[in-house]
Amino acid sequence: MAPILPFSTAPRHGTRGTPNKMKRMHERLEEHGNGRGPRSVLRAVEAPELLVLERLSKVYRDPMTLRPFTAVGEVSLALERGEIFGLLGPNGAGKTTTIKMILGLSRPTSGTVRLEGKDPWDFAARRRLGYLPENPCFYDHLTASEYLELTGALFGIDKNECRTRSAELLQRLGLESHAAKALRKFSKGMTQRLGLAQALLNRPSLLVLDEPMSGLDPIGRAEVKQLLREEKGRGATVLLSSHVLAETETLCDRVGILNAGRLIEVGSVPGLLASGVREWEISVDRLPPRLADSLRAGGHATTRVGSRWVVLVSDGPALQEVLRSMLAESAFIHAVEPRRRTLEEHFVAALSRPVPAPEEPR
Amino acid sequence: MNRVVAIARNTLREVARERVALILALFGAGLVGVSLVVSPLALGEGRKVVTDFGLAGASALATLLAIVLGSSLLHKELDRRTILAVMAKPIRRSEFLLGKYAGLWTSAAALLAGMVAITVALLAATSRDVPWEASGALLLSMAELLIVTAVVIFFSSFTTPLLTAFFCASTLLAGHFAEDLHYFGTHGASPLLAAATEAVYWLLPHLEVFNARGLVVHGEAVGPERLAFAGAYAALYAGALLAAGAAIFERRDFR
Repeated sequence: MAPILPFSTAPRHGTRGTPNKMKRMHERLEEHGNGRGPRSVLRAVEAPELLVLERLSKVYRDPMTLRPFTAVGEVSLALERGEIFGLLGPNGAGKTTTIKMILGLSRPTSGTVRLEGKDPWDFAARRRLGYLPENPCFYDHLTASEYLELTGALFGIDKNECRTRSAELLQRLGLESHAAKALRKFSKGMTQRLGLAQALLNRPSLLVLDEPMSGLDPIGRAEVKQLLREEKGRGATVLLSSHVLAETETLCDRVGILNAGRLIEVGSVPGLLASGVREWEISVDRLPPRLADSLRAGGHATTRVGSRWVVLVSDGPALQEVLRSMLAESAFIHAVEPRRRTLEEHFVAALSRPVPAPEEPR
Repeated sequence: MNRVVAIARNTLREVARERVALILALFGAGLVGVSLVVSPLALGEGRKVVTDFGLAGASALATLLAIVLGSSLLHKELDRRTILAVMAKPIRRSEFLLGKYAGLWTSAAALLAGMVAITVALLAATSRDVPWEASGALLLSMAELLIVTAVVIFFSSFTTPLLTAFFCASTLLAGHFAEDLHYFGTHGASPLLAAATEAVYWLLPHLEVFNARGLVVHGEAVGPERLAFAGAYAALYAGALLAAGAAIFERRDFR
């Protein structure tokens, strides 16, 4: 049996009873106010985890040979309210399959998905869900406005409210002048923006985005990142899968790395990278030339940058020794900074580790 | 219900904006026009020729529209993955299927009604006598379309467009000859064949129930009992097929 990763241990955002949390609770109570009893509303608000995956697996069988293939193997994960979670992994790692099981588009072979405590196969569980598929494709016989009108109708949004919200979103995503244009005439970037608009129409509590940056230019990516931060600020949880690791690093509170269907790592970005300090950089003034020569001889790169010296030390014990020798020579230490691995470097290193073989069903 | 209506409206828009639908509508109008041109050759039976031609053509073209466009409706959604964004919304799979069905039926029924209206208008203009009895035949054809569309949606819920079109055409053809099939099967020598024919007879839709053109061309109206029976039969048969289709569609994985 393969080891199961523990549920999230990331710090919760805010503490119970803080003004922000109370404000969010009130907003949610107002949003859910119609047609639902106060007890069920409170239960939904109080549940700490918005989405819980428990030992989720998906096994496909080759139609010809009937040989099983594990696309997703025993993935366990919990997403908290108000966080941005990045699901990373190479092509074929099982990201999209996991997302489809979360959305009720694909039935798990084993394991469970709980969305606000409900099975996403139950259509009611998807009321506060927004989804942008990978390489989205929408009805090309419709215009952007007509598509949002259809989306609004499926969410049961009042027609006038839907019209107002659609106009807001089209403007926010730079599509206001294309509202009446047939979707068959949309470029890839425009389709991606419309995909975001339809995902945000119902003010979702969980936003699931499969490769949201795909097809967008740098300005579009920056806009989407800003939009996602705003959604987080509103209290929404965002689950995104991406290949653009540099952008994920600055956007996500936590990331999970999937490889060959297994969730091999989960954690906050600083947490995952903390163990990845490559070297230490010491910025120092008044370094005696004799000490500089001695550091170079000891294998520490020592270079003069303007009036300062920069010394690179590869490990912790050596750092202590170098700092002691500098202080003994009355050198003025400006800064000591760890040089960490980027998420991309960590990702590549994580993928190079062997993945435990999944238990194949017979 | 609103969700079903939303999907139905979208399907109606999709069909209406298809070039095939426009071609079929123009072909239908042309067919009625041709019947009017050739009717003087029928030695005083011109009115009957136009009525028969108009009603049969309308029914055949509406059926063709339902099969040609309906057989690829679901497959296109799965192939182009437009279904992913829709099914991630709070909608049941059965509601989606029902919406597709309602949209397809409305499109086919609109073509049928349009062609019958043109036929009736031409007859009224040429003979100054409105053939009201055609309304009974129109209602029966609309009820028949309930079954035709349900057959299309049922097969398309689990198979490819080509196979859907083939299975539908076979089922509908056999449905028109269900009585003959039953007669030959039960009067044959083999009891096994008789039992099989009996089973197929009850499974097939009895589409001749909806054919009242023989009455209408002779100026006779379709009775309310027949309309009620045909309506109930169509509703029950289509309902059973849609329930089976929904059960199959419910189990599908969208990859």
